[in-house]
Amino acid sequence: MIKLLFFGRLGDFAKGVSDSIDATEGLTPGTVRDRLLSNHPALVFELSQPQVLISLNQMIVDWDQPIFDGAELAFLPPVTGG
Amino acid sequence: MAINSTIRIQTHDFDLAAEYQLLRQLEAAVGAVVTFTGLVRDLEAHSSISSLTLQHYPGMTESLLQEIVDQADVRWDLIGVTVIHRVGTLLPSDQIVFVGVASQHRGDAFEAAQFVMDYLKTKATLWKKVDQNGLQHWTESKVSDQAASERWSTDD
Repeated sequence: MIKLLFFGRLGDFAKGVSDSIDATEGLTPGTVRDRLLSNHPALVFELSQPQVLISLNQMIVDWDQPIFDGAELAFLPPVTGG
Repeated sequence: MAINSTIRIQTHDFDLAAEYQLLRQLEAAVGAVVTFTGLVRDLEAHSSISSLTLQHYPGMTESLLQEIVDQADVRWDLIGVTVIHRVGTLLPSDQIVFVGVASQHRGDAFEAAQFVMDYLKTKATLWKKVDQNGLQHWTESKVSDQAASERWSTDD
């Protein structure tokens, strides 16, 4: 099982999206995004913006990073704290 | 390396005087304490703000802030750094963020405080949602904040 997190404005687009997905072989953030496309095209459009960062187990990674079972995958829009 | 660093993400308010005293009393060698306090403004894009709600990524935010403090500690001669960021719903004039730096000399404390704030704004996993008379929207990141952060990277 992979835990999914969508922060900031991405959370608004992710309403109704499951908070976890099954782990499968060859899974990457990119293939997770592809899986969401049919049911959540607006979310996938937002996830595909170049400013969006992704983290795996709280470390920033690339879209082709392999994901293993039990991981926490988060999608991070540009930060606005302070 | 960071002799004394305190990183806190919290919903409740903080006491500027108490945080200053903690930094001041770290060591007798402390000769300068610079503190920065950020407040919630009452206006955004010329319209008034009813409230602000801050979301963050628990665990990751604290790690990123610690990384920023560690970088500051490498670049300047520091004795202590405190970073406090509030989350949850805040009102105009509320305190939102505190950065305090203690060092032997003022130059290190001034520069490190600004560095920590500039990096916090562009790297720490925090997001603001603004409520303007019932209409809510997520704040956009600012080019000026990015530029403020990038000026520190020239001599990396």
